[in-house]
Amino acid sequence: MTAEVTKLRQTVLAMLVERGFEGPIAPDASLFFSGKLDSLSATEIMIIIERDFGVDLSDPDFDITQLDTLAQIEAVASKGQAQNQPAPA
Amino acid sequence: MHNFNLALAFSEQARQHPERLALAVAGREVSYGELARQVSLLAGFLKSRKRSGRIGVLGTRSLDAYVGILAACWSGCTYVPLNLKWPAQRLIALMALLELDALVVDETGAALLTAEILAAAPRDIVVPQSLALAPERPGQAISIRSGLTSDPMLAPAQLAPDQVGYVIFTSGTTGLPKGVMISAGSLAHYLDQTRPWTDYRPEDRLCETCDVTFDLSVHNLFLCLKAGASLHVMSELEMLAPARFIRAHAVTVWMSVPTVIGLIRKTGALKPGLFPSLRLSIFCGEPLPVQAAQAWLAATPNGVLENIYGPTEATVICMRQRLTDPPVVTQGRDILAIGRPYVTMEIALLDSSQQPVAPGIAGEIALCGPQVGIGYFGQPELTADRFREINGKRWYLTGDIGYRDQAGVYHHLGRADNQVKVKGNRIELEEVDAHLRRAAGVELIATVAWPTRHGSAEGLVSFVAGSTRTPEQIREAMAASLPRSMIPRAIHMLDSLPQNVNGKIDRRALIALLEEQATGHSPGGSDHLEAATSGGRAL
Repeated sequence: MTAEVTKLRQTVLAMLVERGFEGPIAPDASLFFSGKLDSLSATEIMIIIERDFGVDLSDPDFDITQLDTLAQIEAVASKGQAQNQPAPA
Repeated sequence: MHNFNLALAFSEQARQHPERLALAVAGREVSYGELARQVSLLAGFLKSRKRSGRIGVLGTRSLDAYVGILAACWSGCTYVPLNLKWPAQRLIALMALLELDALVVDETGAALLTAEILAAAPRDIVVPQSLALAPERPGQAISIRSGLTSDPMLAPAQLAPDQVGYVIFTSGTTGLPKGVMISAGSLAHYLDQTRPWTDYRPEDRLCETCDVTFDLSVHNLFLCLKAGASLHVMSELEMLAPARFIRAHAVTVWMSVPTVIGLIRKTGALKPGLFPSLRLSIFCGEPLPVQAAQAWLAATPNGVLENIYGPTEATVICMRQRLTDPPVVTQGRDILAIGRPYVTMEIALLDSSQQPVAPGIAGEIALCGPQVGIGYFGQPELTADRFREINGKRWYLTGDIGYRDQAGVYHHLGRADNQVKVKGNRIELEEVDAHLRRAAGVELIATVAWPTRHGSAEGLVSFVAGSTRTPEQIREAMAASLPRSMIPRAIHMLDSLPQNVNGKIDRRALIALLEEQATGHSPGGSDHLEAATSGGRAL
């Protein structure tokens, strides 16, 4: 896992703490459908993925439900990073 | 005697066409027959607990929330959706006021049930699955919905037209939100007037963009089930990428606040022909910029677009304007008119002493007719203030400013609350917004009066999301068409604008952002405000 992806994970975990979920979270646990995080958090995560990982999420057929778990978010980010080497600073 | 039960039409559809899809929600598809089975089971339980006749639903965008709503209706009770985003103290205060017979929660609602909230919750709580929850007081019972053992209620209870169908809360500017009580009869009038122009059919696939605490959900749910159509409920996450949802679900009817158009336009994705499946798009709740409406219509080559207007207090909406070519525009605002009223509703424009204004003059929009609600739950003084008897008729005063043009079409100019005084000049924020939108070339904008001292603001501050223009360019463009007092002192460029619980742009959150910045408590996110201009240089 690259430093950027680790940072993204820390950001998501910090959001969870802010919303009162202190405990460990499984990589495949639902973040948004379960109501743990809201759309404002989702917007923030999407901005980070677009800005720091060079992923274009504006495609009308992009499946946003792919961003519901930590594992999914990290997969989308990592894939974007691999396609956009060298990683943006 | 005619039965006004809100769930009656649904029960008939379920009997005649049990196999048809009723609801697609949170990854599940539920047929009319299956939905009716779950509803009648819960209704049997609720009927056996009936005292006040009010059932709370703490949940949204879930099967449990919809079953809770329909079961409350089916059992002859009033349904009261409670907002998941309310702070605990508000939830506690409202539950104390409402004296609910039971509370139906979904998974998200269940997660909110702290000991403190449970203590204020009604005696009976219905949860989706077994939870590590214990009753907080003697006599309180927590039941699992699928495991209820009471007899199912086979047919919806008899309901008279004057009984309360639902209580939906609108956000008050101060204090507790106001619980608007709408009778079963008012809703029946609303459905009668709305069916001809929406013309929902069994093959229609309606999209639900709203929480059940917003009364646009009343329109969707009851018209959909009456028509035997299917309702496709978007999750909060899917709301961020609505284009894909419409395409993937082949949605035929869309209804949302106009902000959603701005969100899709911002990404550049709203291309002509994008949504071939849509036959009807409805926008409500905020001013609808004509350019945004036209871009949306171009994306729906097989559709029409309606702008609708109405307060929760008069049962969803009572005026509408179709987007025509050329469009019916509100002068100077670049927004679509709000059109003509339902034939059953009477509109008046009143001055500050509740007398009709002269033709062509702007006044407060007042509504009279069978859709006007009963009042605010438990707030007789507030009810008397907004629901008034004038010349022998009962009117609801909307707090919206509007005028009627020579063709008889109504135009919305803004909220009376948004009329602010800046250094003594009276300004309508919506008017500044119209110019700001034009100057910034985007829809996601908002202006607030800030800071305010002694009832008069020192200046205006604007917020813009997604514009390629600089604040200086925007201010220069605005200066060409506006007096100096209406030019924002600062324009903040943000990645996104905060939205309130109903998806509208949240001016109060923007003011809070400015307050936080002023007191040095910078907000946690990465969006530090960067005011790009200082006092009047660009002018």
